[in-house]
Amino acid sequence: MRITAFTQLILVLAVTAWVFLLPIPAVATLLALELVLLLYIKHDRMTMAAIGALTVFTGMMIVLQLLFGSSLYISLTGGLRMFVMTTAFLDLLAATKIQDIAQALVEKFHMPCEYAFMLTTALRFVPDFLADSANTLDAQSCRGYSNRGNVLKRLYAYLAVVKPLVMRAIAKSDTLALSMELKGFGANTYKNMQPQTLKSLDYIVLLLIIVLSSFPFWQKFIMK
Amino acid sequence: MSETVINFTNFYFKYLNSQLVLKNVNLAIPQGAFTVMAGPSGAGKTTLCKAMLGIVPFYYGGSYSGDIEILGENVKGKRVSDLAMRVGLMLDDYESQLVSLTAGEEVAFSLLNHGFKPQEVAERTKKALTDVGLPGRENYQLDELSGGQRQRLLLASVLAVHPEVLVLDEPVSAMDPDGAKSLYALLYKIYKEYNMTVVVVEHDINNLLPYATHMVIVDNGQIAAKGPVMDAAKVTYDNPVLRENLPRLWQIKFNLEQRFGIKLGDWRSEEEAQEELQEKFQGRISK
Repeated sequence: MRITAFTQLILVLAVTAWVFLLPIPAVATLLALELVLLLYIKHDRMTMAAIGALTVFTGMMIVLQLLFGSSLYISLTGGLRMFVMTTAFLDLLAATKIQDIAQALVEKFHMPCEYAFMLTTALRFVPDFLADSANTLDAQSCRGYSNRGNVLKRLYAYLAVVKPLVMRAIAKSDTLALSMELKGFGANTYKNMQPQTLKSLDYIVLLLIIVLSSFPFWQKFIMK
Repeated sequence: MSETVINFTNFYFKYLNSQLVLKNVNLAIPQGAFTVMAGPSGAGKTTLCKAMLGIVPFYYGGSYSGDIEILGENVKGKRVSDLAMRVGLMLDDYESQLVSLTAGEEVAFSLLNHGFKPQEVAERTKKALTDVGLPGRENYQLDELSGGQRQRLLLASVLAVHPEVLVLDEPVSAMDPDGAKSLYALLYKIYKEYNMTVVVVEHDINNLLPYATHMVIVDNGQIAAKGPVMDAAKVTYDNPVLRENLPRLWQIKFNLEQRFGIKLGDWRSEEEAQEELQEKFQGRISK
């Protein structure tokens, strides 16, 4: 039994709120839970690389905060919060098909279908764009492109790669737009999909979210 | 094969800020035909393909005169996506036409957009993937499929809506010779099985020799030859500028017919040609 994309999205939004509402030990526990969940769902090279890159980025952020005069506690908690929020998104992407997320955004959050579709399209074309970029770099290298010299010279030389890449991307987007037109893309795209109905597990999770999100309230008035 | 599915009457077209791309096109594609469209680069073949769905002039804009009828209806005022339900189009850049992340989602995309029920979408998706030789690949990510498989996936997504006409613009331009042969063999199987009308734009007609029933040669925006494949081939052969568009085998055939004043068969393969030539020229050709 799985929770729907809608509940997962609410959970991610709740996590971003919890990192500021809950005490730090609870936030650290949240991080541990997220990491266990992520590695349980997906433990391939990409996931490990994403966790590694996120760790490096968090480390850099902590160092920068220290350099700009923040205390060690503030820097560490800031880094922890950022790590928890980002890992929640990684969990979401690992656990749910992007199509389901887009559908939930249109169905439940009333996001315009064009914006929701951008999510899937962006993910669909990232590998193509990277492949085009590598091919263009190879082709221009054969024609004398070199990335030697100072930064300015290298940036100027790189225009020889960027220009054809942009032209190719525009041509592809034209074909994509035509293809979507032919396939009748529009408001019906998500409307006609199998509806994502909430099940008992979704209600339990949503209830848990409400309880945890109101933590400051019951800490102040009920636990006194 | 008498009814016409696509009909151009005195059709002229030019894109915004361009010269005339199509000039005085009068063309009828008969129902049930497997039509090959050839011609030099820049002759207007792709534009003509796009006109078969009203993409030109109604999606891109530009100026036009004349009429286009698809399955008995004038395309004027029709939505391109509605026409695409009856006439399926595959453009040469197949990568950019795939819009989803998995094979199943890709095939289901058009169906969902046109309001098919989820149950029927699932059935049609399964059938279309099986038809193109990708059974059970619904959950495959696109990057798990090879170039040839992606090409077939696009074909499946077009076939899933059950179009009556299939238009393919240089579908094998990015494929190796074996991949090209296998795609055309698959296309022919589908053409026969579903009794469709097929139009294929192709530079190298050699691959389509066994299948073509009709041929159209486009040159400089005009229809230079059209009709049943051998009649159109003869007209093309008689024009020295366009002769190169014919398959090598037919160039040899017409050369021999002209030189020896004989009538040879409609060769569809080298084996057929070899057999007939051995029979007709046994002992007559000096070594």
